[in-house]
Amino acid sequence: MGRPPLSAFVRTSLRLLTVQACWNYERMIGVGLGYASEPLLRALPGGRSGEPYGAAMRRATQYFNAHPYLTGLAAGALARAEHAGTPGEQVERLRGTLLGPLGAVGDRLVWAGTLPAASAVGLALSASAPAGIGVAALLTLYNVPHVALRVWGLRAGWRSGTGLAKALGTPLLRAALRIVGPLAAVCVGLALPPVADRLAGDLELAAWVGAAGAAAAAWIVGRWLAPTLGVVRLGLLGAVIVWLGTAW
Amino acid sequence: MSTDVIVALLVWGVIAGLDLVSVLQAMVGRPLVAATVAGAIAGDPANGVMIGMALELFALEFLPVGGARYPDYGPAAVAAATAAVGLPPGQLGVPLVLGLVLAYVGDWSIVGLRRWNTWRVRRAAGGLDAGDLGTISRVQLGGILWDALRSLALTGAGLGLAWAVRTAPPLDARRGLLLTAVLIGIGLASAAQNALRLADPRRAGWWLALGLAGGTAWVVLR
Repeated sequence: MGRPPLSAFVRTSLRLLTVQACWNYERMIGVGLGYASEPLLRALPGGRSGEPYGAAMRRATQYFNAHPYLTGLAAGALARAEHAGTPGEQVERLRGTLLGPLGAVGDRLVWAGTLPAASAVGLALSASAPAGIGVAALLTLYNVPHVALRVWGLRAGWRSGTGLAKALGTPLLRAALRIVGPLAAVCVGLALPPVADRLAGDLELAAWVGAAGAAAAAWIVGRWLAPTLGVVRLGLLGAVIVWLGTAW
Repeated sequence: MSTDVIVALLVWGVIAGLDLVSVLQAMVGRPLVAATVAGAIAGDPANGVMIGMALELFALEFLPVGGARYPDYGPAAVAAATAAVGLPPGQLGVPLVLGLVLAYVGDWSIVGLRRWNTWRVRRAAGGLDAGDLGTISRVQLGGILWDALRSLALTGAGLGLAWAVRTAPPLDARRGLLLTAVLIGIGLASAAQNALRLADPRRAGWWLALGLAGGTAWVVLR
């Protein structure tokens, strides 16, 4: 089995940064995955003019969806399967089995964990430290694990091939999944008092009462109507009520 | 505002808009980042941070999961921070409303872009199914171009509205203060409520309460 050169892995890594650029309702990120995987497929027997490359490319852009940071796992594993001469039907089955796990793990680990935790730390520091510190903290705390996950994903995918389930069951990943949600909830709680103090600290008492009343109303309405209403519409509804109330 | 500043804000808005989905997703499009930088570009970093913090509270709601719809806060935060230049802290309500409106429009613009991408992919289906690298590259990289245009249009419209807000007669102080306070209250409540969705529902309240206790101690003791 041939191994793609290091430059192919670098190219694939860079292309994976834009994997969702053509997100669509038909193939979702399938085109992005195909585009990103292509450098790894060039080393197939016969090169770009060989039949294995052509067959792999014909499969490469079909329907696929996963968390974007973990798509490298799929790119690496699928390319490895193609290099190992795995029959096309099996490669397609592998592609299908990756859909659920890569989405679920990434969503829990990143969107519902690392992102709100980093955002909350950024908020807390923005409220308490000189301008820019909070932003730097958010970007650093978020992007160190983000980049690590992307690099690990492509490497682990290539190493594992069709045995990718093992890579997703590593103790570190399982521990991170257990910890990250509660950690994010604590971080958001930690951020709210300093942020409230900074945003409303200079306001007069009547405004504090207004803010507290709006918070209580938003809490109650949000419990009933979330997620159908959404906070943007809730905020705009609040603005309309203030407008009409003060006009009247 | 000079042409250089407007161009810089437009470029920053495009970067923030692209970061949401199409390129990198390094979270430079988060409102805290986008508004802080936009405030610095427009000449009022302090209000940029304030707008960024307030909109970030709202943005804690959304999880950019797969096919989900979500507001685009990047260009919205750039416009809101621009509209907030020079305003006193208690009068940030109108720029915040502007930010929320643009985030909502951004949500629809993303749906439109995805439909457009779907049409492009259907049209190129022959080349894609044949594994033609030229077609794949054209469709994929075209997605970046269209998203950049979407972000540019959103930022441009936002800066136009920010200019309108800045040149319009100011809201009377009482109404402006109440609007600011109400939006901050809604943002705080929404952020707390969304934190409850991040952990096991039986324990999430305790984790949030632990954080709130720590945060309150921080404010009291500092």
